[in-house]
Amino acid sequence: MTFAVGLNHFLLLGAFLFVCGAVCMATKRNAIGILMGVELVLNAATINFVAYAHYNPIFQVEGQVFALFVIVLAAAEAAIALAIVLNFYNNHTTVDVDTAEELKG
Amino acid sequence: MMNLLLTFGEHPGWFFVVATLLPLLSFVLILLASALWCAGRAYRNTPGGAALFNLCGGEERGRTAAFVATGAIALAFVFSLVGCIRFSAQQHGFETAIKQHGKALHQIAAKIKETSGEAKEQLEAKARTEEEKLEDQEKRWADARKTNWQGHFDWLRISPKGIVDADSGTVLQLGFKIDSLSAIMFVMVTFIATLIHLFSIGYMSDELQPEVEDHQVHTAHGHLHRRGRFGRFFMYLSLFCFSMLNLVLADNLFQVFLSWELVGVCSYLLIGFYNERQSASNAANKAFITNRIGDAGFILGMLILWTHVGTFNMEELFQRVRAPLNDTHGAVEGVAGRIVRGNLDANNTTKAGQRFTIANDGSDVLLFPHRPSAHYHAIVPRVSDNPKPDQHGSMPYWMLVAAGLGIFLGCVGKSAQFPLQVWLPDAMEGPTPVSALIHAATMVAAGVYLVGRCYPLLTYDALLVIAYTGGITLFVAATIAVVMTDIKKVLAYSTVSQLGYMMLSLGVGGWVAGLFHLVTHAFFKALLFLGSGSVIHGCHHEQEMTKMGGLFPKMKITALTMLAGVLAICGIPLFTGWYSKDAILAQAFGFIYVHPQHLLLFLLPLATAGITAFYMSRMWLMTFTGKPRDEHVFDRAHESPWPMTVPLIVLGVCSVGIAWGWPVWDAEASFLEANVHHAQYPAILADFGHIDYSISEHHGEYWIAAKDEAQNERVFAYRNHHLAGNIAFVLVAIGIVFAGAIYWKRVLDPAEAKEQFPRLHAFLMDKWRFDRLYSVIFVRPCLTVGHWFAAFDLRAIDGVIHAVARSAMWVSKWDGLFDHYIIDGAVNLVGNTIYGMGARLRSVQTGFLRSYVLFLVLAAAGIFLALAYFVRMAMAG
Amino acid sequence: MDTLNDILFYVLMATTCICALAVVLTQNIVRAAAWLLFALAGVSGLFFLLGAEFVGSTQLLVYVGGTLVLVVFGVMLTAQGPFVNMRIGAAEWAIALAVGLVLYGVLSTSLIISNPPQSDVNRHVDATMPDSSVLGSSLLGQGQASPTGFLTGMPPAMRRERKPMAYLLPFEIVSVHLLVVLIGAAYLARAKRRRAV
Repeated sequence: MTFAVGLNHFLLLGAFLFVCGAVCMATKRNAIGILMGVELVLNAATINFVAYAHYNPIFQVEGQVFALFVIVLAAAEAAIALAIVLNFYNNHTTVDVDTAEELKG
Repeated sequence: MMNLLLTFGEHPGWFFVVATLLPLLSFVLILLASALWCAGRAYRNTPGGAALFNLCGGEERGRTAAFVATGAIALAFVFSLVGCIRFSAQQHGFETAIKQHGKALHQIAAKIKETSGEAKEQLEAKARTEEEKLEDQEKRWADARKTNWQGHFDWLRISPKGIVDADSGTVLQLGFKIDSLSAIMFVMVTFIATLIHLFSIGYMSDELQPEVEDHQVHTAHGHLHRRGRFGRFFMYLSLFCFSMLNLVLADNLFQVFLSWELVGVCSYLLIGFYNERQSASNAANKAFITNRIGDAGFILGMLILWTHVGTFNMEELFQRVRAPLNDTHGAVEGVAGRIVRGNLDANNTTKAGQRFTIANDGSDVLLFPHRPSAHYHAIVPRVSDNPKPDQHGSMPYWMLVAAGLGIFLGCVGKSAQFPLQVWLPDAMEGPTPVSALIHAATMVAAGVYLVGRCYPLLTYDALLVIAYTGGITLFVAATIAVVMTDIKKVLAYSTVSQLGYMMLSLGVGGWVAGLFHLVTHAFFKALLFLGSGSVIHGCHHEQEMTKMGGLFPKMKITALTMLAGVLAICGIPLFTGWYSKDAILAQAFGFIYVHPQHLLLFLLPLATAGITAFYMSRMWLMTFTGKPRDEHVFDRAHESPWPMTVPLIVLGVCSVGIAWGWPVWDAEASFLEANVHHAQYPAILADFGHIDYSISEHHGEYWIAAKDEAQNERVFAYRNHHLAGNIAFVLVAIGIVFAGAIYWKRVLDPAEAKEQFPRLHAFLMDKWRFDRLYSVIFVRPCLTVGHWFAAFDLRAIDGVIHAVARSAMWVSKWDGLFDHYIIDGAVNLVGNTIYGMGARLRSVQTGFLRSYVLFLVLAAAGIFLALAYFVRMAMAG
Repeated sequence: MDTLNDILFYVLMATTCICALAVVLTQNIVRAAAWLLFALAGVSGLFFLLGAEFVGSTQLLVYVGGTLVLVVFGVMLTAQGPFVNMRIGAAEWAIALAVGLVLYGVLSTSLIISNPPQSDVNRHVDATMPDSSVLGSSLLGQGQASPTGFLTGMPPAMRRERKPMAYLLPFEIVSVHLLVVLIGAAYLARAKRRRAV
């Protein structure tokens, strides 16, 4: 399957998603919002992998395998992050990450 | 056990060694027990400590120490007695045989002179056989003495490494040598010490209490209270006895010196027994320091002998210094047993050495081989510089005189003779039994004994010094004793005086008389001291005779026994003092007969005999007769308990009869004197002549003396014994009558005499101003110099030290500043910088998750940028 | 065909971008979750477009069907009144957006510089993407699944032929990791028991 859209298009899309994820993490006070930002960032990475797999036949297996790994690890990350959030909620009765400032120097 | 008994049987000298070691054992036992007691006492709250504490006596330790010490010394007495009897028996057998042969030989020699021809030859043959028998007996006796009554072992070997030649003179030995003198001394010392121990059990019973109040020491809180020191007293007594016995036992000067110092230490400890009393501690110091002066002389003398003769062994010393007694060729005739003087001829030198020419006023002394061959062909072949044991050597005469005087100086210190007599009266500060021990049996006896022992080393000049020292001492001390009112002080001065008698006797050749007097004096002086102790004890520690009087009915036993002692010391016939003192006077008489220029040496003891009688009677009469002078003291006076009176009675009996012989009324027939006589050195006979058999029935002197009869002190002394004794007895009687008139009948008033001669009285009361003289001559200059040194110490040395300290402080101050500001500053600077950076970086850690994300993003951007740049560069490259 | 693909790409891209932007911009967490759902779905569409059917379907199944459900659970469990809309200050918004723009600028610029539109990485590729059986054999340890040839994306001097590779070990690690994570999550999220007094 061929089409006129090149690798750069996908990479730019990935970059955009990455930035969206990053900004999402930076602007959401809700812990689950931050989690969503992370998902976006991971998706950006996945897009890059798959795009490379498509445009560079040498990596056609690797690109997909790593995309799969990323998806699986994202699921794992989501599970653990959610557990953390729930624990945080149990302890602080809030999901506002600004209240979690124990790491303040 | 059997082996041990056999050893004793074969070597009976060991009896004396055991007797010596027993008091040492007792000392060690008491010391150990005390140490354990102290150790247990510190832990008496713990069960183990309490058990130990109670085992060693607990709070009230009782009389165990006394029983141990007394038992040890009593056992030592038994051993000494057995040893002495065995020795005397053996000696008597040999001496009798030798005497018989000698007598026969003498008679034959007399006959030879009268006859001629064939009969003369027969007689000469007979004389030769007699002579062989005599020599055989002599040899056997000498062997017996060597194997049975002597022994020694090497103690310290100070020779260079690898050289083990016992003759090289670099070995210090411990050993024993018994002759009849040391045997008698052993019996005397142990016997008297036993009685004094027994007496002390009673006398020192105050010390048994856990807490003793010393009325003579005043502290801020009243009288001093201290722990009782019963055990300590007996511990010291044991050590004292051991020291004295070891001194008597010793066969070499070094061992003597060891014991000598031990005796000094013990006297120091015992005189200062009540060390809280200022007077007691002063007296102890005085005794010790005064003795140090004498001991310095002793050491010098020893070193001179060591240097020139090369041995400390007394027998070897004598063999070296004195010429041999006999030889088959008659080479030594004329000088046998004497110190041989002469001159070294420096021009006549061969390989063997220099020629030695004998001259009576020579500057050198000939040293003989101490392994003499039986025959001397000529008395002196050559003198070697570094003589082997079988070669002749020489030493300067004045050195030998100095050595003798040095040893004598030690004896002057110990026996409290003329320049150094000041310590003895002060030594009365010790407990009375100690005074008795010091005065009778041990310390002061040691000096006289040593002079007697070292007699062959003393030259004629040294002996003269000794004689004059004794003469001065006996007179000075007696005059002081006349005015003393303290009962113990009177006795102290009488001791000094009697010791002077002994020294004088030794100096004029009365070796037997002097040592005989030493033994008899020990008995009656111990008696007198213990008696005075009993009086003091009965009068509740009152020592002033001016507060006594009329005590006879209150303490009859003490009074009667003391009377025996007084009569003995005065020299009343049939009491012990009579035998010995008359012998001394006779000896002095003989000496001035030969040397009329030394008339003083007879007049002083003669006059002093009268003075002695006076002050001793005065003491007894003032104490026991007449009206009581102080009702308070009289009312409380009482007789002492049996442990104190029994020794008095025993000593009283001894004071009367110890010197008796048969017939009792013969002053020459004393059994004790005859026994002492056996120990007499041949050297004495060589120096002062011998007594012919025709006139002496009691003494076995047989060998040939060089002096002709007209110049023979001893012969004259023997012939005029009774004359001298009678003159003395008249003076004694006068003295006693005089004393009785003043103090018993009180027809004469002593106060009048005092008023008549106030300056003389003050002079005597001041003890001839010796203390003051010494204070001016020695003590004060010493103190002044000491103060100078102290000032030097304080100013110069301390100043230097302080300056050093100050500069060290200054340096360290700067060092501290450097440390504080530079080094610490640098370290702190690093720390502070890092801390500041951390503090600043802290603000980065906001704790806000979202800001972290932002930083992450920024970092990612930066990394990406850099990566892109590098990748591009790489691609381009 | 090309045109259809291009159109599909642009549609999906737009959908994804808009939804992602919406996730960022919305203040309501519940809505954000919804927007995220669409964004992820769009991404999966793009995967299909690229011919990676397996990845795309996995994306749909695991992400949209699993992960997002988890997120929605989380939202529902915590979405109490005050937490649904949590606003932040304008300054923070400004900073975040500025940083985001900078990052996007850096990324895109460097991307375009390093991969110019004329470079061969942008040309059309005719090769078909391998299907899931190839991926499966690679994950099961068959090295020959990957195509052979020279590695690209590095300087010519360092270019070398790749070696046969398989991903059994990473696969196993990931699976174990997943197990651990799930246990850990279950532990962390469990209900707290109060100790009986």
